[in-house]
Parts: sequence; structure tokens; C-alpha cells
Amino acid sequence: MAKVVVLGAGISGHTAISYLRKNLSKEHEVVVVSPNSNYQWIPSNIWVGVGRMKAEQLIFPLAPLYKKRGITYIQAKVTTFHPEGDKKTDKGFVVAEYVTGEQKGETVKVDYDYLINATGPKLNFEATEGLKPGTNKTASVCTYDHAQHAWNDFEKLITRMKNGENLKILIGTGHAKATCQGAAFEYIMNVEQELNRHKVRDKATVTWISNEYEVGDFGIDGLMVKMGGEMTSSKDLIEMVFEDRGIQWIKRAGVNKVEDGLVHYETLDGEHKTEDYDFAMLIPAFSGHGFNAYDKNGGDITQKLFNGFMLVDADYTQKPYEEWTVQDWPETYQNPSYKNIFAPGIAFAPPHGISKPRKSTNGTPIFPTPPRTGMPSGITAKLVADNIVEMIKKGTDDLHHLGSMGNMGAACIASTGFGLLKGRGVTITTNPIVPDYKKYPETGRINSKTIGDLGLAGHWVKLALHHAFLYKAKMKPFWWLIPE
Amino acid sequence: MAKKITRFHKFVMHNPFIQFFKFIYLNIKILNVVAMGHGGTRNSEKTD
Repeated sequence: MAKVVVLGAGISGHTAISYLRKNLSKEHEVVVVSPNSNYQWIPSNIWVGVGRMKAEQLIFPLAPLYKKRGITYIQAKVTTFHPEGDKKTDKGFVVAEYVTGEQKGETVKVDYDYLINATGPKLNFEATEGLKPGTNKTASVCTYDHAQHAWNDFEKLITRMKNGENLKILIGTGHAKATCQGAAFEYIMNVEQELNRHKVRDKATVTWISNEYEVGDFGIDGLMVKMGGEMTSSKDLIEMVFEDRGIQWIKRAGVNKVEDGLVHYETLDGEHKTEDYDFAMLIPAFSGHGFNAYDKNGGDITQKLFNGFMLVDADYTQKPYEEWTVQDWPETYQNPSYKNIFAPGIAFAPPHGISKPRKSTNGTPIFPTPPRTGMPSGITAKLVADNIVEMIKKGTDDLHHLGSMGNMGAACIASTGFGLLKGRGVTITTNPIVPDYKKYPETGRINSKTIGDLGLAGHWVKLALHHAFLYKAKMKPFWWLIPE
Repeated sequence: MAKKITRFHKFVMHNPFIQFFKFIYLNIKILNVVAMGHGGTRNSEKTD
């Protein structure tokens, strides 16, 4: 009998949990440790942030589902890792702190045979002075709760515009090394559409601010997409969309401070500038959770597990951009020091960026860090679960399920406006995610599998995925037929 | 100077009839890109 513990119940953690439970017999225990009481389909947060969807439509409680499926659920947040056990036991364990109920504040030791760290990122608002959501006229759509507050603030803004005020909206990245530009892009487009729907578009100046060297970089160094039979750069595609919707853009900007209605940023040219606004949604930096790890004698071994995020089978050798290869990227997400610990999704430490790293003339790094959200999170979680199942069933240490972001496709379905007939979307598929210039010298990617499309159909696809993935997450009949 | 979306392209983008077929095409394309496998990059063949 084996005990598999999964830390986190987000897209990655919940995917791993689902496949582990499906493929392991009941004699094996699957345990979840998560501080969250609800599952949330994060990609739909942007619709909550513009009031077109209720938070309840994209969440469901985890406890009843896990109880029904025979999954042990501990609502707690992990604090420390003990992969070698301690003086009393040789079995690895984590220490977690209950976050609710009568045991709130108490700690519990959760031992394991296999551990999946799917804790995702810490939303590091503190890394940018003044960027706390709900203060300084800023909002966030990173969680359903944040998105609900964003809509409350945006709704008030619409009312003010209806009363005749001219206002400024600023949306983008709130840190020089922020990632997840796609979510901010979706939000700015949906905000613009809603301004039109409420007939106040002429009262608003809508501006995009980003750490991207060119718009459309999205943290993956941009891409060439096949669109209408022609190869088009994502820069041209996104600029075309912004131009069409009357959205201004500021690029190569590292936001470093937010005051009440005023954002401070540094450009790659080394200039320090400001931009005023009445409503802003700025994506924070992502960081690791700052976990510590200890050996059997209580010695600090954090560096064997973490460099911020969790170390896995990547090549972390420092090297210049020109020498980066897809082989640097992990394939199994297994920690090299402890073979029973894995970290899929955003929890794993990437070997380096995907976008070219750049510094301002003052030496400030200003570039997007690599995204691992959405499809890569689900795919890597499934392959980790598959490998653990095989290790348990076959008693082997060989890992046969591999999935490097340099040999994996992904689709970015960006809603650019909500509505069954008036909705709009930008659909981009890419394969691979990390460009492989040795294999595909022309663009780094397979041209026939890297496409772009604009139109209503993209919105329908995103809406269909919303329902399909919630169905899958609820583990309803034949859920596993829906791919990650 | 950014390219402009032409009036014809806008018509195509917003026409529900055309977009219905585009919806089917995109779903097939996405399945083809995402669900048709992934693998390692070091010394392995596609495995999933």
C-alpha cells in the first residue's frame, strides 16, 4: 500500500489527484493538502472581473467531491518539508498548518511515500510597492475573490463615466519580471468591450502597460503564427487588435511603484516615468512560497529542494540566451535529490526564461518570466501522476511518461469580449511552447501547429472549455476523455 | 504602424454562420496540437 500526498488543489494539483485516484486501487491512499476550500477554473476569472460571470459559476467545494471519491482532504497550508523524515521516522513528511475549523493554527505531520508539490505560485504583490489589490485604485483578477472586487470597482467606474467623467484605465503587468501577460490581455480586451456595451467607450482612455519587449511576447518570446494562410508575428497580431479597439500601449516597462492613481515604471532605455489612472489591473510578480526543508537531524537542506520554486530535472546551469536549448527544460518534474518528490505546473523552477532577458541601462532586468499556467500545468500534472502510478504498480524507478515544454503543444484561447453573438476571441496555438531552433530553424516552432485566429469562434471555444474543464474537474462520468 | 483589420475580415469575424464552421475547425486544430502527444527532448521518443 502506498500513500501519495498532493500539495495544492489548483489546476495542476487537482489534475494529479484525479488521475491518481482513477488509476490507483483503494488500498493506496491519495491525500490532498490545500488551504483552499474551493476548486476554481482560473481562466474564467476575467469574466468575473467584468461582471459577465458570477464567481459561483467557476468554483465548487472540494470537500464533498474528495469525500465521494475516497480522497483524504486536509484543509491546511504546508509550512516545511522533511524529505528524510526526522529522528523518530525515516519516512518523508511535510508539516502543514490547519487554516480553518477548531484546529485552525495547529500543525499536522503528513507523511508520504510519494509527494507532488503543486502549490503553484505565490502572488507576490509585495514585490511592487503599493500594488496590494483594493488599494491605490488597483485590482487583480488572479483569484475569483480578487476578480469579484475588480468588477465592483470597475462597475463604479462605469457609473462615473455614465455621469460624464472622462477616466483612464491601465491594465498589464505590475512588475518588471511579471508573467501571465495573457490574462491581463484578456482582461483589457473584455474591459474595452464592456465599455462599449455600457456606451461609455468614448469616456475612457484604455492603456496597456507591459514588461514585454514587444506586445504579443506573452513570456514565450513571441511567436510566428499562421493566420489566413500567411505567417504573422504575434506582435503584429496583437498590435492590430489593440489598434482596432483604440487601446494605447506602453511596452518595455518595469513597474516598480504604485501610488494612489499613479504608477511608476522604468523603461529599458533607463528612463523613469509615471502614468496616471483611475482604475488599474496589474499582474503581480510570481514567486515561490518560501518553503524551508530540513534533513533528518533538523539541518537546513532548502537548497536541495528549492531555488524559490522547486528544483526538478532541468539544467539549471547559468548560460547566456544564445546557448539556451530545449534540452534545458525538465521532462519528468522529479526532484534530483529525492526521487519520490515531483513538482508539476507552476511549482517547478524553470531553468531560465523563454523570452530574451533584457536589462535597462540602469541594470534593472525587464522581461517576462516564463508562463507555466493552463495546459502545461494540466499536462505536466497528468504525466507526473502517470509516472507515480507506474512506480507503485510495477515497482520500477524508471519514468516513462515525459513532457518537456520544448516538446509540448499548447493553446491560448483569449476571450476578447463576452457574448454569445457579440463575443470575440483570439485563438493562438503553439507547438512547442519553448521554441526549438535546432529542430525548426525557421521559427522555432511547427508552422502548421502554430496558428492564430480572430473572431467569435474563439470566444465560443473558451466558453466550451470553461464548461468542459469544470465537468472534468468535478470527475463526472468519462471525465478522463477530455484531454488536458 | 500596426496593420488594420479589414472590413471584410471584420465581417468574417462576426458572422455567426461562418464562425460556426470556424469553431469546429478550431476545436479540431486545438485537439490536434494539444492532445496528439508530447514527450522529452533529450533522448526519447514521444511517450504520451
